[in-house]
Amino acid sequence: MAEVRPDEISAILRKQLAGFENEVDLYDTGTVLQVGDGIARIYGLTKVMASELIEFPNDVFGMVLNLEEDNVGCILFGDSTLIKEGDIVKRTKRVASMPVGEEMLGRVITPLGLPIDGKGAINSDKFLPIERKALGVIQRAPVKQPLQTGIVAVDAMIPIGRGQRELIIGDRQTGKTAVAVDAIINQKYTHTEEAKKDGIKPVYCIYVAIGQKNSTVASVVSKLQEYGAMEYTTVVVASASDPAPLQYIAPYSGASLGEFYRDSGRDALVIYDDLSKQAASYRELSLLLRRPPGREAYPGDVFYLHSRLLERASKLSDDLGGGSLTALPIIETQQGDVSAYIPTNVISITDGQIYLVSNLFNGGVRPAIDIGISVSRVGGNAQIKAMKKVAGSLKLDLAQFRELESFAKFGSDLDKNTLKTLSKGARLVELLKQKLYVPMPVERQVVSIYCGTNGFLEEIEIHDVKRFEKEFLEFIGMKYNQIFDTIRIEKQLKDETVELIKKAHTEFITVFKKS
Amino acid sequence: MSNFKVSIRYATSLLELAAEKNNLDRISQDMELVCHTIETNNQLKLVLASPIIKSPVKLSILTDIFKPVVCDDSLKFLLFVVEKNREEVLFEIIKKFLELKDVSLGIVNVDVTTAVEFTAAQTDELRKKMESYLNKKTRLKFKIDRQIIGGFVAKVGDSVFDASLKHQLDLLKKQFIKGGASLN
Repeated sequence: MAEVRPDEISAILRKQLAGFENEVDLYDTGTVLQVGDGIARIYGLTKVMASELIEFPNDVFGMVLNLEEDNVGCILFGDSTLIKEGDIVKRTKRVASMPVGEEMLGRVITPLGLPIDGKGAINSDKFLPIERKALGVIQRAPVKQPLQTGIVAVDAMIPIGRGQRELIIGDRQTGKTAVAVDAIINQKYTHTEEAKKDGIKPVYCIYVAIGQKNSTVASVVSKLQEYGAMEYTTVVVASASDPAPLQYIAPYSGASLGEFYRDSGRDALVIYDDLSKQAASYRELSLLLRRPPGREAYPGDVFYLHSRLLERASKLSDDLGGGSLTALPIIETQQGDVSAYIPTNVISITDGQIYLVSNLFNGGVRPAIDIGISVSRVGGNAQIKAMKKVAGSLKLDLAQFRELESFAKFGSDLDKNTLKTLSKGARLVELLKQKLYVPMPVERQVVSIYCGTNGFLEEIEIHDVKRFEKEFLEFIGMKYNQIFDTIRIEKQLKDETVELIKKAHTEFITVFKKS
Repeated sequence: MSNFKVSIRYATSLLELAAEKNNLDRISQDMELVCHTIETNNQLKLVLASPIIKSPVKLSILTDIFKPVVCDDSLKFLLFVVEKNREEVLFEIIKKFLELKDVSLGIVNVDVTTAVEFTAAQTDELRKKMESYLNKKTRLKFKIDRQIIGGFVAKVGDSVFDASLKHQLDLLKKQFIKGGASLN
């Protein structure tokens, strides 16, 4: 049996004790006046500063939010039952921070950076403050690179650029999380050698779950694992059972982790699922701290709560490494009411929104994106040229279709042109349907949309559209793979490529079996 | 208005009055006496806080207790506070007054906790050290607590100078946990 020699032990003890200074320790203290519901009021701590981290007994930490005349209001990042009236509180003279680094990839953590996936400790020596100021004007560059979500409807009509903030909004059960998870899964290709050759930088993902059931989070994590997406993803969890202070800071810690990648010249995507729950937990804290309630009982600074978070998403200038942090906040509406307080706030902050509608979802159009009211205000600059070219007419065709669709319900006597528009629209809607977790590479998207907008589907029955698309893309992949290659590498749709697609189509149509 | 603000207002005005009448020593002595009396006498505290007992009764109670021992100005102030229906904050007002008086005289109260009683020489040494550090006159109050094992803890307002053995051991424990002792 191996033995530990006593002199080894003493050597270790000496090493550990080296640098231990037994001088007088000077610290500032206060006394707990009141504690409960995740907040505490403290007497004393006269020199404490706003957002400073303070230390309670039993290793509970808190953050100062209110500085009042005769007391200090703070939120607790731990169990409030461990603290009692009269306990001594110490200042730490630090702001709340979390560990960051590559060690976080593939892990599930709390907003304070502690692992909760049972895979052992995270050894990261780099810390970043949870609340950081957003970058200024000089450090930024315009959004110009695409962030492919792999969802045809999004990439074609509501394109998202790296460094953009695009809101995903909709009622419950409309597939909001699915859009976000699809976007994460589609980033897998950015980590491949092929993407590197094409000059596409890898995108690191962070999924922040706020106020969700632990079972929901577990199913998202297992989906990400199943599709091999956890390798480049970190999941930050403040579940419904966690105290409100943790739910409140969760998105900020997600942003800090994203900023770590951004500041080291890499690209990151962070998903806040969802900010309505974060706003609700902030409302809870504010009311307990006796801040005056405003509209819908939210405190006056609830706009700032989200604006300072989303302002941290950015594209850095080339001088600073050209990294980016893309944010996809999610907001859950009640009964499709987008004019409620939080949805209007977040809509006005973000660079566009993806509306998901329950009628479409229940009608089988999935992803249930309402193209009419979904927009992307900056992503257009980030689309590749080929996509821009084919998608231009797509939005117009769909708009015309929607206008006629409601009108056509009433009468049967329709002229030839109207019927043509209707049938084309119905086929386009069918074409944009997509299964869960099956992201489509951009070159395939381009060809697929080209088929839709150039009448390749006219002769195809609606229920055959998806099969046609699948088989046609497979056909091209086998016989005319150079089409995909040129689109992917040159990012343009040249006349020769168009000719090739047409040629492939005439060849394919003879072998396609209609059902 | 919060009791905190009220007590500051009354205390400041009493301090100014005392300075004006050149009577600060006597008044502060009186206030210390009143403070001590209220602190040690729970019944008096309850009477002052009770909303059932009307102010004329409270006035006569205070007059009976304090007239023989305090000066006129002090008594007038006590009765004035009761007249203004602020008797429930009286204790805080007096505390604040004593605090503000110390600030104006440049005196700092230092609560010193030790494990064993300090000798006169040690006390003197500590006083000198504290005075040179704080740049103010100090008033040391001693307390003995065996829990701290050795050394001393000096508390000035919110700031704590912790030179106790217990704190050192706690820090050492933390360092050991953080260090994660390993064999390489």
